[in-house]
Amino acid sequence: MNVAVNKTPAELAYDGMLLPHPRLEDWKWTNLRTLIDRPYPPRIAVTALPRDVERLLKRDPLAMIAHARIVFVNGLFDKAASALPAGGAVKVTQQLAPLDNTDEPVLEMNRAFAGEGVHIEITSNIDAPVEIVHVATDAEARTIATRHRITIADGASATVLEIHLGEGDYLTNSVIDVALGAGAKLDRVKLEIESRDAIHLAHARITLGRDAVLRDFTLTSGARVNRQNATVNFAGEKADAKIAGSYLLSGKQHADTRLVIDHQVPKCTSREIFKCVMDEKARGIFQGKVIVQRDAQKTDGKQSSHGLLLSETAEFDAKPELEIYADDVVCGHGATSGDIDHNHLFYLRSRGIPEPEAKSMLIAAFVGEAFDTISHDDVREQLTRFAETWLVDHKETVR
Amino acid sequence: MLEVKDLYVKLADEDRTILNGLTLKVKAGEVHAIMGPNGSGKSTLSYVLAGREGYEVTGGEARFKGEDLLDMAPDQRAAKGLFLAFQYPIEIPGVATMQFLKVALNSQRKARGEKELTTPEFMRIVKERAARLGISQDMLKRAVNVGFSGGEKKRAEILQMAVLEPSLCILDETDSGLDIDALRVVADGVNALRSPERAMVVITHYQRLLDYIVPDFVHVLSQGRIVKSGGKELALELEAKGYAEFTREAA
Ligand SMILES: Nc1ncnc2c1ncn2[C@@H]1O[C@H](COP(=O)(O)OP(=O)(O)OP(=O)(O)O)[C@@H](O)[C@H]1O
Ligand SMILES: [Mg+2]
Repeated sequence: MNVAVNKTPAELAYDGMLLPHPRLEDWKWTNLRTLIDRPYPPRIAVTALPRDVERLLKRDPLAMIAHARIVFVNGLFDKAASALPAGGAVKVTQQLAPLDNTDEPVLEMNRAFAGEGVHIEITSNIDAPVEIVHVATDAEARTIATRHRITIADGASATVLEIHLGEGDYLTNSVIDVALGAGAKLDRVKLEIESRDAIHLAHARITLGRDAVLRDFTLTSGARVNRQNATVNFAGEKADAKIAGSYLLSGKQHADTRLVIDHQVPKCTSREIFKCVMDEKARGIFQGKVIVQRDAQKTDGKQSSHGLLLSETAEFDAKPELEIYADDVVCGHGATSGDIDHNHLFYLRSRGIPEPEAKSMLIAAFVGEAFDTISHDDVREQLTRFAETWLVDHKETVR
Repeated sequence: MLEVKDLYVKLADEDRTILNGLTLKVKAGEVHAIMGPNGSGKSTLSYVLAGREGYEVTGGEARFKGEDLLDMAPDQRAAKGLFLAFQYPIEIPGVATMQFLKVALNSQRKARGEKELTTPEFMRIVKERAARLGISQDMLKRAVNVGFSGGEKKRAEILQMAVLEPSLCILDETDSGLDIDALRVVADGVNALRSPERAMVVITHYQRLLDYIVPDFVHVLSQGRIVKSGGKELALELEAKGYAEFTREAA
């Protein structure tokens, strides 16, 4: 991986650590060497004022829905701002998840710099969502790294919300390990509404046991540069995973998702559905790979990604990959990209709906299929509202 | 209400003129029927009046309630009271019919400076008008026009019209594809909206519709122009003789 000779400013700040070279296949769309255009030194201690934290926490559209709330401020666990569950079926331990050597740059960076994290253990069925909120306050440019672990015991179920928000210039590096036991069910919803100056790098590693059910949804809308990796490993038969996501990007935002779904055992089902909206000069990328190992007969794996371009300068790139070593499987993928249907727009406007609202309705309709992955009604409704108002909101911010 | 004077319209990206000096004057309270051969420009006229992209006005004018219609955005025209029932209503997957109707009605009310309706107020209006038009609750739960049959789509257009209560209704072949019973239901729906403050322009190929919606004037549109106007008896005459006379004349 270490192809570079001259170190970038960011690399110099990282004690000589190297950023991934764009010649690496997975990183060809996202050249961190140029996108990270200034140093983000790690391990910078920043004191946050409680009133700033409180103000920023109000930006979380899911705040009212979560029952237990774990708050991280500038990479550190903030007990005062958190509302921990009173024991019972949810156990939260402050603990940095173990991480072995890898050749994944985001993981390596995290291994070097993450200071704190939590381990959330769910031991039975929880209705009320548990939330982890990451807040970054406005301070000097720096790297903020956290590493968490979620364990859902056999037969247990929960909804876990993960929020990233903040203001100012910083680089988030977020790693999360998720393990679902036999028959466990997890609804995971991630919301990336970081500061517009921020860079968000993330890596999620998810393992599903026998008969486990995963519903995973990520909304990406905040950071100027976003790169999210996720690996889903099927370790037990008849597990079922749906991984969905949506981008709402404008300006010069750049978001790249790299998903690897690894079917190692028979009779599992995987669905990936990404619905990405790009306005102005934004660029969205979706790279999805489905691997079906030799033993993974009767695998049912489908993938689709769709881009909606709101301007002629926006861009969407999709790279679906299937790697199949078993013979009795049903797999498929599809990718499309297009702009708003002018007939739809005219029809709505001819009924008196002004253009921004009409476009917003069509955007919400477009992303709806991905949002339907969210089982929790209130969470889905809040995020749908976010999508419905996004166009008007970001146009106002620009003005 | 509507004054179209010597209107010339060409396709925006093609050198082809569709409307050739069309003149039409519609006063409040009147019902005008427009008939004419396929491809004569009837739908183009309705689209241009509603503000669809893709056309270029090269001459003449269109005024609505005294204002320059062609200068307004499609949603402004709607808020001012213009409504077009589409010849081919558009399906919009993912947009729920009820939400669409509510946003449409409240956007118009807002633009006119009227109070927006609450959800219960809105629901009451829709339920009552849907029942009158024989539109099921199930249809209202679906996405806009998605999976509707041809006739259901036409009915849904009239429901939108009944909810939005426009002052100028342009109906583009709303009768095509309707069975006899549906035709009567739709015509009743249209007639219920007839009032001294409201005008209608009914585009149709069939005299039969005009038995139900009796027009004050009938116009023949041929090759982008109104070539003959008369009373409702003109429709009977056209039914008997066809358009041969007009197409030959124009050619
Ligand atoms: N966007 C367009 N692109 C190309 N041709 C067009 C377009 N719009 C209209 N035309 C042409 O203009 C002419 C008039 O079309 P229009 O739809 O207005 O006819 P009409 O009178 O409504 O016909 P019908 O009775 O079949 O509905 C036709 O020849 C049609 O092909
Ligand atoms: Mg027509």
